[in-house]
Amino acid sequence: MAEFRLPANSRIVGGVTHKAPQGARDVRTVHIYRFDPDSGENPRVDTFELDAAECGQMVLDVLIRIKDSRDASLTFRRSCREGICGSCAMNINGVNRLACITSLRDLGPQIRIYPLPHMPVVKDLVPDLTTFYAQYASVKPWLMAQTPAPPDGERLQSKAEQEQIDRPAACILCACCSTACPSYWWNSDRYLGPAALLAAYRWIIDSRDEATGERLDALEDPFRLYRCHTIMNCTDVCPKDLNPAKAIAEIKKMLVQRQS
Amino acid sequence: MAERPLSPHLSVYRMHRYTLLTSILNRVTGLALAAGLILLIYWLMAAASGPGAYAQAESVFALWIFKAIFLVLLAVFSYHLCAGVRHLVWDTGSGLERAQSRASAYLVLGASAVLFVGLACWLLIRVLA
Repeated sequence: MAEFRLPANSRIVGGVTHKAPQGARDVRTVHIYRFDPDSGENPRVDTFELDAAECGQMVLDVLIRIKDSRDASLTFRRSCREGICGSCAMNINGVNRLACITSLRDLGPQIRIYPLPHMPVVKDLVPDLTTFYAQYASVKPWLMAQTPAPPDGERLQSKAEQEQIDRPAACILCACCSTACPSYWWNSDRYLGPAALLAAYRWIIDSRDEATGERLDALEDPFRLYRCHTIMNCTDVCPKDLNPAKAIAEIKKMLVQRQS
Repeated sequence: MAERPLSPHLSVYRMHRYTLLTSILNRVTGLALAAGLILLIYWLMAAASGPGAYAQAESVFALWIFKAIFLVLLAVFSYHLCAGVRHLVWDTGSGLERAQSRASAYLVLGASAVLFVGLACWLLIRVLA
């Protein structure tokens, strides 16, 4: 059931303000969700006034700058800084995005940074993605085929067959989509969420895969697939411009078509 | 170690975004229409019970508060109808690209406004005529 209020241990209490340095020119006020598992205290929102001129142009640069110069305990995931690893997914000014490819120019003077919504928080901006990964694994994201591969080479696809899986296969599992989905918020224990369903679709339509029926059977369930109500937040936020909503709609269509 | 806190969701997500706005409106209008059915059932039961009960229902519905409720329900119906058509199109697998769903969000808002004004004018003309 949908639980609209945050549990008592999750409500935000207080926060610290770090003033802008003297002579700052382009001041940005950055509000950052903080949670320290060792303190036993509730999460808080710290405010950092920052001169944008002293750091790079992306939100990730701001976080790194704050960690370097203001508060070394600030914790977040990052790796590639070019939108291909999916580590720095977070909620920035109310929308899930990758911090490394979100430009300060698009955000204005007030920047609010929270972890991905409705997830257990390990520390600060680091969510626990265990369930998310388990859901991905549950759709068996690998090739399943009885027919052995040709002895003299690989399983070949036509260009058109490859293009079908081209976009869905580009998912980086950043979890922006699933954690933007209110259906996933209320039912993440049973609804697979857009990212896992996009992965399922990628294997269902793969011309080399021979377990299409089995894969569709596994999804034909009131919760796993049909908690999607086409809210469209998934496609709206995907930093790789993929389309989980379309993938889910296509899976629903296939389930209807195979009945006739 | 203490239990991990749940990160904020409704309180931080941008709720006026076209995706959430149209979806929540569709839910709320659906609920309002279901509630409005109670009035319809009351009217039908009154009609089935005889002239006395029907006359009483007519006099109740003539109150300005019920006229206001029906006007709101007309707006609610207009939106829910247009949003429902959008969902039907989506169920065929079309119109799901980001730009398309953004455009259809504004189309639904505009079309339902036009439908509401049209229906309201039509009813007004019929009442005055």
